[in-house]
Amino acid sequence: MDDIVFQQIVNWITLGSIYALIALGFSLLFGVLNIIHFSHGDVSLLAPFLALAAVSAVGSALGDAASPAVFLLALAIAIGLTGVIGVLLDIVVIQRFRKAPAMMALVATVALGIVLRELIRHLFPNGSNPHAFPRLVSGDIALGRFNVPVFSLMVVAVSIACVCALFLMLNGTRLGLHIKAVSQDRDAARLMAIDPGRIFRATFFVASAIGAVGGLFFSSYAGMARFDFSVDVGLIGFSAAVVGGLGSMPGAIIGSLLIAGLDTLVQAVVPNGASYRLVFVFLLVIAVLVFRPSGLMGRTLVEKV
Amino acid sequence: MTDSLAMRRSASARVGDALTVVAVELVGALYLRQFLLTDDWRLVIALLAAFAGALVLMERQPALEARIEGAFAAQSRLAMLLGIAIVLAFPFALEGNTYALHLCVISMLYAVLALALNFQLGSANIPNFATGASYGIGAYASALLALNFGVSFWLALPAAAIVATVFGFLLGIPSMRTRDSYLALVTIAFGVVVNQLLNNLDFTGGPNGLVGIPVPELFGHSFASPLVIFGAELPPQANFYYLSALLVLVSILFAERLHDSRVGLAWNALRADELAARCQGINVTWYKVLAFAVDAFLAGFAGTIYAFYVGFISPDNFTFLVSVTIMTMVIAGGMDNILGVIVGAFLLTLLPEKLRAFSDYRILFFGVTVIAFLMIRPQGLFPQRLRRYGD
Repeated sequence: MDDIVFQQIVNWITLGSIYALIALGFSLLFGVLNIIHFSHGDVSLLAPFLALAAVSAVGSALGDAASPAVFLLALAIAIGLTGVIGVLLDIVVIQRFRKAPAMMALVATVALGIVLRELIRHLFPNGSNPHAFPRLVSGDIALGRFNVPVFSLMVVAVSIACVCALFLMLNGTRLGLHIKAVSQDRDAARLMAIDPGRIFRATFFVASAIGAVGGLFFSSYAGMARFDFSVDVGLIGFSAAVVGGLGSMPGAIIGSLLIAGLDTLVQAVVPNGASYRLVFVFLLVIAVLVFRPSGLMGRTLVEKV
Repeated sequence: MTDSLAMRRSASARVGDALTVVAVELVGALYLRQFLLTDDWRLVIALLAAFAGALVLMERQPALEARIEGAFAAQSRLAMLLGIAIVLAFPFALEGNTYALHLCVISMLYAVLALALNFQLGSANIPNFATGASYGIGAYASALLALNFGVSFWLALPAAAIVATVFGFLLGIPSMRTRDSYLALVTIAFGVVVNQLLNNLDFTGGPNGLVGIPVPELFGHSFASPLVIFGAELPPQANFYYLSALLVLVSILFAERLHDSRVGLAWNALRADELAARCQGINVTWYKVLAFAVDAFLAGFAGTIYAFYVGFISPDNFTFLVSVTIMTMVIAGGMDNILGVIVGAFLLTLLPEKLRAFSDYRILFFGVTVIAFLMIRPQGLFPQRLRRYGD
């Protein structure tokens, strides 16, 4: 019995870390741009497909597709490319909705997500079907009397590293200072000789690249890459960010752990739980928002006249 | 002397107005007929280009637009009567093409859904991604009543609308506290919960949905049999054509009355500035919840007609994508503009059907259209009009 409980806790932490990597992007982009980038989940889950393409491209160039070095290189390429795609989307589409009502940007990015999914389906060879995606690392490590998969440890470690790097970047570098300045007051930042457009693009790159790490982990966790994964994952990542409070980094992490916890619990406890997991997750989302309208860690909106 | 001159001039202006109204409505009907009957995608593109050209012309020549608008305002009774006559006669002009008639029915149901959403998104600027769910609740409620309790279509119709309205009220409750993106997520979550429940519960038939929904009857005339009017025989779809046309008409009247009432004014005030509206003594919470209820009410009607028309419903008909489609219709057509919303619904229902040549790329095309629209013409095809008083 203990083993099962422990196993579920490992699952919970793993899934929560993956969701957090995606939720962070939603929260970061909202904090800086004040718009919902609804296609962020779709951008993040481009990464597994880019990685698969990169493996075959790099493999054929070096003539050795199976070596771990090639795979690592492919992952790095996928993460970088996803970041660049995020920036491109901002330049081509999202940029134009900076001054538009928030609803416009939301609907436009919903449509953008649809376009990205369909592009994978049509452009990737055999894109409609699932593609096998390997576990990044296999094997277990004995921790006391329990066995923990190395993969889970790696996911948690990398996620913590990403969060720390993001935190240091935001609080310790010039770029982070500029990002915070732009998110507080765009016009004042411009007066201080900060180019908001450049900061927006930098934010898109960082958010998309972190999301890409989450997307790669998710595909690796599921064992495959599917073009329609991003529907659920994007929605859950978005929900986690909102439940935690949009714009708050700790909130995104807490929201992800909360949602992943409920997800795991329902699948383990409720009969036929796998089919009802989304019902429970989204009922939780509604309940949290009814009682905490700006999320758990969000700034409470007080309107002043 | 000057009096009689003024009268003569106004008489001739009246004839001119009447002719303008007749010409515009007939051209519109002919355009729609051609659009429905054509199979060649090149012709579809040409028709679309003509439509875009007309819009650009109107934009360049405000006098022309003002003239048409003035004519419709002066001859509103003629415009309405002629419009009804054209709608009644339209199925006869389709040469018995059942597919075209079917597209008309679906377009009209979407027009009702878009009008329903327009109360929130257009009038009050409340994001609602759950219209598709309300549509589904209406469809499932009526189908379950008919299948399990033998309730006739005519009783199921109001019953389903009431059920959908109750759910609309429930959905509206979170809107008392949440706003903007947070409210948008609540409606998305509601839509997903409804869809997942329909997909997994036993009594809704799970992913297979409900089949064998009985065909409605009226005074012994089954809606599955051809409709015979004055000796001319119309395909069975015509029954539902007239039924949904009636629903569209009622929805338009409903929307216009609401728009002109204090309720519509309160919604517009909410859109302009919620805080200022509250200071003016508008009960913001009530009007927000009311917007959700009204949306669900109309969507419930549309859902019932859809269920009985197709005879088979499954959760796939009421997904998040359907809600997004309805939202796109409102935005592309023109928020808070009744004509615009209806045109948007027709355009976005018919376009994917007509461009079957690229059927594989339909969803892609749809997404690109939405983005292009929002980027190039964010105010929609027919921008919202200023309220006018006193003339």
